[in-house]
Amino acid sequence: MKGLLLLILLSIISQSVVFTQTPSCEFTLSGIVVDEHDQQALSFSTIYIVELEKGYVSDMNGVFVVPNLCKQNYTLVIGHIGCEPDTQQVLIAQHTKKTFYLEHHIEELKEFAIIENEIKPLSSVVKKELSPEELSKTRGRTLGESMKELTGVTTLTTGNSISKPVIHGMHSDRILILNNGIRQEGQQWGSEHAPEIDPFIANKLSVVKGAQSVRYGANAIGGVVLVEPADLPDSSGINGEINAIGYSNGQQGVGSAMLEGKSEKLLGIAWRVQGSLKKSGNIHTPNYFLKNTGVEEQNFSWTLGLNKEKYGVELFYSQFNSIIGIFSGAHIGNLTDLQTAFAAEEPLEKADFTYDIERPYQKIEHELFKVKSYVATGKVGKLELVYARQFNLRNEFDKHQPRGRDNDPSLPDLKFGLTTHTGDLIWEHNRIKKFKGSIGVSGFYQGNTTEGRNFIPNFIKYSSGIFWIENWTSNNYKLQVEGGVRYDKIYQKAYVWEKDELTEPDFNYENFSGTIGSVYKLTDKVTLGYNFGSAWRPPGINELFSDGVHHGAAAVEIGDRTLSPEKAYNNLFSVEYSAEKLLIQVEGYYNHIADYIYLAPELPPTLTIRGAFPTFRYKQTTATFKGVDTKVNYHFHKNITYTGKVSLIRAFDETADEWLYGIPSDRFENSINFHVDSLKSLKDLFVGVSLQHVLEQTRYEANSDFVPPPKGYELLSLQAGLEIPLYKTKKQTVPLIIGMQINNLLNITYRDYLNKFRYYSDEMGRNFILQLKTTF
Amino acid sequence: MKTIQKITKASLYLFLAAALMVGCKKDDDSPKPSSSTPPANEEELITTVKITFVDTAGVEPTVTVFFRDPDGDGGNAPTQFDTIRLAANTVYNASLEVFDESKNPVENITTEIAQEADEHIFCFTPTNVNLSIIRTDSDGTYEIGLASQWTTGIASVGTTQVILKHQPGVKDGTCAPGDTDVELNFVTEIQ
Repeated sequence: MKGLLLLILLSIISQSVVFTQTPSCEFTLSGIVVDEHDQQALSFSTIYIVELEKGYVSDMNGVFVVPNLCKQNYTLVIGHIGCEPDTQQVLIAQHTKKTFYLEHHIEELKEFAIIENEIKPLSSVVKKELSPEELSKTRGRTLGESMKELTGVTTLTTGNSISKPVIHGMHSDRILILNNGIRQEGQQWGSEHAPEIDPFIANKLSVVKGAQSVRYGANAIGGVVLVEPADLPDSSGINGEINAIGYSNGQQGVGSAMLEGKSEKLLGIAWRVQGSLKKSGNIHTPNYFLKNTGVEEQNFSWTLGLNKEKYGVELFYSQFNSIIGIFSGAHIGNLTDLQTAFAAEEPLEKADFTYDIERPYQKIEHELFKVKSYVATGKVGKLELVYARQFNLRNEFDKHQPRGRDNDPSLPDLKFGLTTHTGDLIWEHNRIKKFKGSIGVSGFYQGNTTEGRNFIPNFIKYSSGIFWIENWTSNNYKLQVEGGVRYDKIYQKAYVWEKDELTEPDFNYENFSGTIGSVYKLTDKVTLGYNFGSAWRPPGINELFSDGVHHGAAAVEIGDRTLSPEKAYNNLFSVEYSAEKLLIQVEGYYNHIADYIYLAPELPPTLTIRGAFPTFRYKQTTATFKGVDTKVNYHFHKNITYTGKVSLIRAFDETADEWLYGIPSDRFENSINFHVDSLKSLKDLFVGVSLQHVLEQTRYEANSDFVPPPKGYELLSLQAGLEIPLYKTKKQTVPLIIGMQINNLLNITYRDYLNKFRYYSDEMGRNFILQLKTTF
Repeated sequence: MKTIQKITKASLYLFLAAALMVGCKKDDDSPKPSSSTPPANEEELITTVKITFVDTAGVEPTVTVFFRDPDGDGGNAPTQFDTIRLAANTVYNASLEVFDESKNPVENITTEIAQEADEHIFCFTPTNVNLSIIRTDSDGTYEIGLASQWTTGIASVGTTQVILKHQPGVKDGTCAPGDTDVELNFVTEIQ
């Protein structure tokens, strides 16, 4: 298989090296300029060549000829009356024919570019992206912590180093993470299993909220997190970026470096290499150190790409390695230990600062290899093929080496190996009449092996899906309607040892998903959106098979092999008012989930040699998640901006008439930013203060938790930053971008409801952060 | 020119090939188990607690009680959970043993606890029953509890809590630190 792949790749690439080289400037660029929407030729269009400072005009039929071009990149500006001028980079390496498409309107949604990330959300769904400022502020944090800046996204944490994004109250198996366009496959069912992704890979982090199975396949019930790297450079030369970040708390240091370029000598191949390192020691709460909370991380990735107009291929490889210390005070043997730990003023196990990581800890590795290739299918569209292989190795080391295993301390007590192969074939068609869309098929294979403590069984999983999505845009571009359907089939087989006998229970799941949505531009300033989307997910392996004491949770969890898939139907409304000084975004959602899988308490408790444990069984019910996310930006002075965010969630078990467990409480954030574009040679100076207010979760059922949810809290933080010129070369000024932050400025003691360690310890205390970045 | 092109081409192929190699870390073993026997559970479970009471005066008969959960936590319920029935106004020497009965042959964990005595302690707490219990053995610094003396009073019925704590590096003679390995409430009758 791999050999075949290599062959295909090589043959694609070798095609590009057969063109003959002509040293002189004798190439011609010819072609036609047409209307993007009805394909009508645009007569008398202008073609201006920036490098030559020369302009040409097309004839009655839109046809143009530009003679005497050299072998190089040219910047073309194509214009026509009533159209937005279009700037394009064109590589001339031979006589070239091109068709340029112009758009007859201003307010158009972003069209598919020739090179484009393969999976694009629909227009009517709510996609929120971290702004460049927000993204740079989050540099050095984990993926989950970075996403928290977006309204409607919170985190589920296990101590300070393990955090998972929560979208509209849903996490783990109910959200999907697309790492560079590929479904991230790790052991994500566990709440203490953070996504194995280096956020430095991304130059764009965004979230698509709501049920979106049509576009993304199973599991996209709460939403989708998109981790997208920048496009490879399309001009020659070498660029780079270096980040260095220091944190006072944990004495954490993070460094990252990236180098990218493109060489015409190497047939126009663009490349990027990137890596990052992280090391942190014990974290300090306002009153004490947390024992064994250090982290180490080493990550790297490379990308190679050849992007031509008619075809292209891109290879990507990334590796993520981390060792995460687990707070020792959170290790408990039974419910009494948990109560003791909770009642204690301070954790019973004391510690000082150290970088050393001892048991218990996790050692995690994740690698992703991806090949993406595309060919243009005439003028109508392009065909894209993506293949990826992921391997996730997770080793968990318990606090105490098991008594029987004293002789080999290097052996993990629990080890998961998960290998996943995914393939997608997608045909995207350009606008035909008023329609634009894509049709695709996808395939998936996954194999899991488990060693050590008996927790979940080995399994294999196959899935396949087919989808079709179309978008219709009205003539005046004020109204867009889109819809899509998808069908998926999943087969899963587990290998379970029961009383020394191997059984092989297998499961078949299949489901249709659909979506329909619309965006309407009511006025220049007001946009309305509505989307209905359905999504589903098959029961997770832990929900089917777990049977025993969940370590750390002090509870017995019992799976159920007869669970049926969860099906979500989500309604999403959005209103945006966007004026010069004021931006208001309001999103409301109502997500109805049939056969929602949850852990229901069961009596009597399970008697074990370590005492009686509360017992929970996976059951299904009808659940609803509804809520509102709001964001307001008000530039009340040319240098001062106010930002306010609100997010509210209500999640309810409709059958039992009860609140659902573990839902983020209401939260509000207010911040004021003072910003100056430039001051002498300094640029982008800003100072900001923000206050986050998190309420106590009062919507919970009395028997659902060991202790009541913690009190609400208010966190004050400060940010400041500026850009100074570091040195000047002939071509450019190399800047040094400095960012400073103080989190939990008042050093308050608090606990968060969505931290699994809220039973054992306080949250992190004050933290000074210094971020340095330069690009060249 | 041709040569340069050839070299470029060749090195590109090499780089690509190398790149693919890096990406091809060996898949882990097949999920389908190849052997027909279940993987050995190397971890030691404590499935069984046995307490033997011997009358110091040699008058009353010896009493033996068990707690047994041979398949460990969860799964099948415990198979045996005896009541401690002792004679009134008697002094017993109690010896405690723990086993892993999920293994074949059965593993005696008592020996290991004795070897790692400085990491273990047993705690006994009688409730509503006329009984006093003291540990009679020591790791050199602190008591262990594998051997203890139980002195009964007048007839009564209550419970006795037996706790085994694993306290590597943190043993201080009390039951507070460490993780609980055993926590059982034996119904206790003094007749």
